[in-house]
Amino acid sequence: MRNIWTLAVTVIRDTARKKIFYVVLLFGLSIISISPLIPTFELGSQARFLRDISLSLTSLFGVILAVILSINQVPGDVGKRTIYNLLSKPVSRLQYLVGKYLGILMTLAIILFVMGLEILVLIYARLQVFSPVIFQGVFAVFLESAIIAAFCLGLSTFVTVPVNAFATILFYMLCHVKTGFLHAKLIDEASGGLVKIASWTFYYVIPNLENFNLSEQVGYAGGVSWTFLARISGYALLFAVLFLIIGHLVFRVKDL
Amino acid sequence: MGEFAVSLNNIRKSYRLGFSRRRVEAIHDISLEVESGKVFGLLGPNGAGKTTALKILLGIVFTDEGTGSVLGKPLGDRSAHHRLGFLPEQPYFYDFLTAEKALDLYGRFFGMGREAFKSRSSALMDMVGLRRDSHLTLGKYSKGMLQRFGIAQALLNDPELVIMDEPSSGLDPLGQKEVRDVLLRLRDEGKTIFLSSHQLSEVESICDSVCIISNGKNVTGGPLSELLEVRGVDRITLEGENPEAPARLEPLSVKVEQAEGVTVLEVESAGVYRALDAARELGMTLLSVEPYRRSLEDLFLESVKEEPV
Ligand SMILES: Nc1ncnc2c1ncn2[C@@H]1O[C@H](COP(=O)(O)OP(=O)(O)OP(=O)(O)O)[C@@H](O)[C@H]1O
Ligand SMILES: [Mg+2]
Repeated sequence: MRNIWTLAVTVIRDTARKKIFYVVLLFGLSIISISPLIPTFELGSQARFLRDISLSLTSLFGVILAVILSINQVPGDVGKRTIYNLLSKPVSRLQYLVGKYLGILMTLAIILFVMGLEILVLIYARLQVFSPVIFQGVFAVFLESAIIAAFCLGLSTFVTVPVNAFATILFYMLCHVKTGFLHAKLIDEASGGLVKIASWTFYYVIPNLENFNLSEQVGYAGGVSWTFLARISGYALLFAVLFLIIGHLVFRVKDL
Repeated sequence: MGEFAVSLNNIRKSYRLGFSRRRVEAIHDISLEVESGKVFGLLGPNGAGKTTALKILLGIVFTDEGTGSVLGKPLGDRSAHHRLGFLPEQPYFYDFLTAEKALDLYGRFFGMGREAFKSRSSALMDMVGLRRDSHLTLGKYSKGMLQRFGIAQALLNDPELVIMDEPSSGLDPLGQKEVRDVLLRLRDEGKTIFLSSHQLSEVESICDSVCIISNGKNVTGGPLSELLEVRGVDRITLEGENPEAPARLEPLSVKVEQAEGVTVLEVESAGVYRALDAARELGMTLLSVEPYRRSLEDLFLESVKEEPV
């Protein structure tokens, strides 16, 4: 556990050095520049619109960050040979991978939390509406980013950085269309056996990232229940662990 | 078995290349044993498989065939890592950390206490001559400074076994001498040292035994004293030069050399007295007679030459 923590803190240090934390400024600028676009309806729908659109933007930032943070952790250490100095210490490969992942999660958590604060302040400054419910949406974005990060980190143990970038983006898109498209194929009587099998596999093996899109609920300020949050947390954990296990199985026996 | 700090038995290792998974054999068949408390040198031409062998010891790459042990644990067993230190070839570290912070990072993996760590790390930075640069980030270190830092981090946990891949590579002459002194001190402290090196004079002066490999196979190996001694040949050193000496002594010797007032003969052991008589008649004074030792360089070149590439 101590090793995992030490590695995670090192990831955060590296992120700080690369000035990745400045994305929160970029994010702040983005939502400020979007906010004049809100339609001039009554107060309620203005706030709803702001919450909705800033949450979508958070999701976009979260996913891109997850990829940027994860994609070069392992290839970078292997390519620069910095990994020899870690694995020749009493550090196992599993600890290494999990430590990296924990560091990525902590970085994401810090950045997304600050983004949530920014949204809160912006909405209050514009409309004098206090919307702590936004943090439910931000938390869901965190879970979504955590899945993407696990996928990308797991994959980075065996594919090159450019291939990984494409694969992760493709994965992200598949995970969003799956409810609509694949589910339709699955229940469609007309679709052939092969299509059904493929749809079935995809439907159950890849996560449904729409589960983490709370724009609707947060937009209307009703929010979601704690049990709902717990359920999507469990769902995210399941997939994150699955992807990390796949990554570990490859990484465990890899020549470095 | 227990007395060996390191052993490899009939190791075979191939790397898989790219998408086609084509294999390149890096090590065909290598066996070696290193006794505890000894200094061991792994020698061989470029591409012989030295670095690969060291990576196998540390579980950084995995063997195809063969077994081995490090500090009594099977290959790749991480529990041995508490008691060993490793200096990789061309070491490289997180360049965003200062030397101090990087040592701190590595110290945490050993679970070192704060106090113990502080005194140990400052002693090591002193030892490798980096005290003044310990606040610099490692990205700003020169090649030789990185090498020195690499040596410091390899010794952080006061290891029983030190594994070093070309420890003096990239170091200035002073640095090379310092490394040699560090290694000798470690040997005096009873540590086991396993190094790969191209600095044959360095190896000759500090190693107890060596193993020479070429093309992934053992070529020769054993205690240096035995390997370098050529049985049946002695070396006679005489004071004085004499123009007649070559003509007179050459029939009696394997080799005659005269320089700066000293004559050196290499003579088959059975002919030592005849050569000495001849030298006395030439009016030369005997300085010494000793068993002939070839240099490690001679041995290396001979052994490696025999191997067709
Ligand atoms: N990661 C790798 N992938 C493919 N082949 C490799 C890899 N690492 C080493 N090799 C090959 O294995 C062989 C042995 O390499 P190794 O680095 O062990 O040599 P070495 O004895 O350390 O050489 P040097 O004296 O130059 O350091 C070489 O033919 C090299 O091309
Ligand atoms: Mg090498």
